[in-house]
Amino acid sequence: MKISLHNISFSYDDNSSDDGMIIKNFTGSFCSGSFYSVIGPNGSGKTTLLDLISGFLKPLSGDIEIDSTPILSFSKKNLAKLISIVSQDYAVNFPFCVKDIILMGRHPYIPRFSPPSAEDIQKAENMMDICGISHLQDRKINELSGGERQRCVFARALCQDTPILLLDEAFSNMDIHHTLQMLQLVKYSVKDNNKLVISVFHDLNLASTWSDAILVLKKGEIRAFGRSSDVLTEETIKEVFEVNSIVEYNEHVHAKQVYYPTH
Amino acid sequence: MILFSLFLVLMIFLSLSMGYIRIPLTDILNILITKTAGTLPGFGNINETHLAVIMDVRLPRILSCAGVGAALALSGVLFQGILLNPLADPYTLGVSAGAAFGASIAILLNLSNAFVSVPIFAFTGACLTLFMVIFLSYSSKNPMAGLSSNNLILSGVIVAAILSAGISFLKFIANEQVSVIIFWLMGSFASKTWPNVATIIIFLIAGFFISMFFARDLNLISLGAKSASSLGVDLKKVTFILLLSGSFLAAVCVSISGIIGFVGLLVPHMVRFITGPDNRKLIPLSMLSGAVLLLFADTITRAVLPQEIPIGVLTALTGGPVFCWIFKKNRFK
Repeated sequence: MKISLHNISFSYDDNSSDDGMIIKNFTGSFCSGSFYSVIGPNGSGKTTLLDLISGFLKPLSGDIEIDSTPILSFSKKNLAKLISIVSQDYAVNFPFCVKDIILMGRHPYIPRFSPPSAEDIQKAENMMDICGISHLQDRKINELSGGERQRCVFARALCQDTPILLLDEAFSNMDIHHTLQMLQLVKYSVKDNNKLVISVFHDLNLASTWSDAILVLKKGEIRAFGRSSDVLTEETIKEVFEVNSIVEYNEHVHAKQVYYPTH
Repeated sequence: MILFSLFLVLMIFLSLSMGYIRIPLTDILNILITKTAGTLPGFGNINETHLAVIMDVRLPRILSCAGVGAALALSGVLFQGILLNPLADPYTLGVSAGAAFGASIAILLNLSNAFVSVPIFAFTGACLTLFMVIFLSYSSKNPMAGLSSNNLILSGVIVAAILSAGISFLKFIANEQVSVIIFWLMGSFASKTWPNVATIIIFLIAGFFISMFFARDLNLISLGAKSASSLGVDLKKVTFILLLSGSFLAAVCVSISGIIGFVGLLVPHMVRFITGPDNRKLIPLSMLSGAVLLLFADTITRAVLPQEIPIGVLTALTGGPVFCWIFKKNRFK
């Protein structure tokens, strides 16, 4: 499976000039079996890029295709069987139980007016088990902490069981134990089930350690896109984030790590 | 659910028997069986006065009251679900102000056949307001952001504010008819007829099936727009259909019985305590509870109180304090 974007431009305002574009002439492709990271400063268009890929936003110009079928030609329900997303808005407005939330991940598979099948329930229970939230299943979602809620949303997205998984700072509120556990889980699904994962990171070291390729965005344009070891350089970090750094290979994580020296 | 349905049926019978003329339950059963089955049961002498009271006065009033209660509660569930705002109710989008404005004009112009024209004017006013509100908040460039809850609520508030000023002006120039306008605005089920019952039942059934069809999508909408969309909900379509359904239900209610507050706001909240937030259970149970509650209030004003007071006043007076309690309790959770 392959997602390809050709000359994608996007802005919330139809008439904006080139400078106002949130995504400018983006061309690139993502292939199954790889874990991609997207990094970049605030407002560089990372979330917008994921929203475009997930079909939530429509590009002003350009095409997004999954295996050369335009995503806009999929029905909402079929697209939901292909792409799942863990977004940053994980607030739930009504006090649903955790297990109801996880089961909502099966929505695209359950026909109208029918109850979830035994398989759906089994999948939901498995996912809660794997994500370590089984003990929360009867709690109300709005009574949980931010990190717990985020794990529920994560489990719901995994329950959707799609070949493509988009993560928008999905680990931002998790402690290090759960962050590593979820990353391990995602990594396995990429390796063993040939999934395609695109994840927005703020932590450059996590991005470097866990992903196969890194996409660097600034002001809606690609500044670098390639193997993690090639992309992460002191020059790129200086140019994109405007900070001084030291980039070294670290043998404990078998990847490059970034340090920010103090004076 | 069965319990609530039984409760509603019981309530209807009780309400039928209570009133200025007390009618024993056996006579009511007798009349109803005779009317529906057409066959005369063994002890077939029916009191003609009782027959007229039941069939022409009480039954249409009671059924339209139950129907309006159910419709208001359903509309409240839909609005709270779509606008993701616990304070949303059937009148949030200004439907009530529109209907009231339409009705006030009809009353002021003293249109000949007042019993037909006032509801029609009210319904037209409500629909025009609704389209105005959607037109204000909708933007073709960014449809999803346009129909966001904040935009809709704000547009509703603006339009309702303008219309309220309009209503005040109409009252000001209405002279002696001002009492008619005020009385209409407060709501009443007095002298409801079978056509009223038919109208509300048709809209109610349609509304019920539409909202049950989208009940699960409505559940997903509470996860937020992005998550709902990624789970396969066609947000634009679902939002639009459910908003229109909720508003039409509210418009029909207002045109039949005037503005009755708090049923649409309160009932969904109370039922949520029992069923939880799942709309597949919330919708039918809210409808039943709304019907029971409004019928209860109407029976009190009709049969218990020495003088009939407008039902809009009674529901707000009794519902208001309960709502205060819920609000206080939930705000600090």
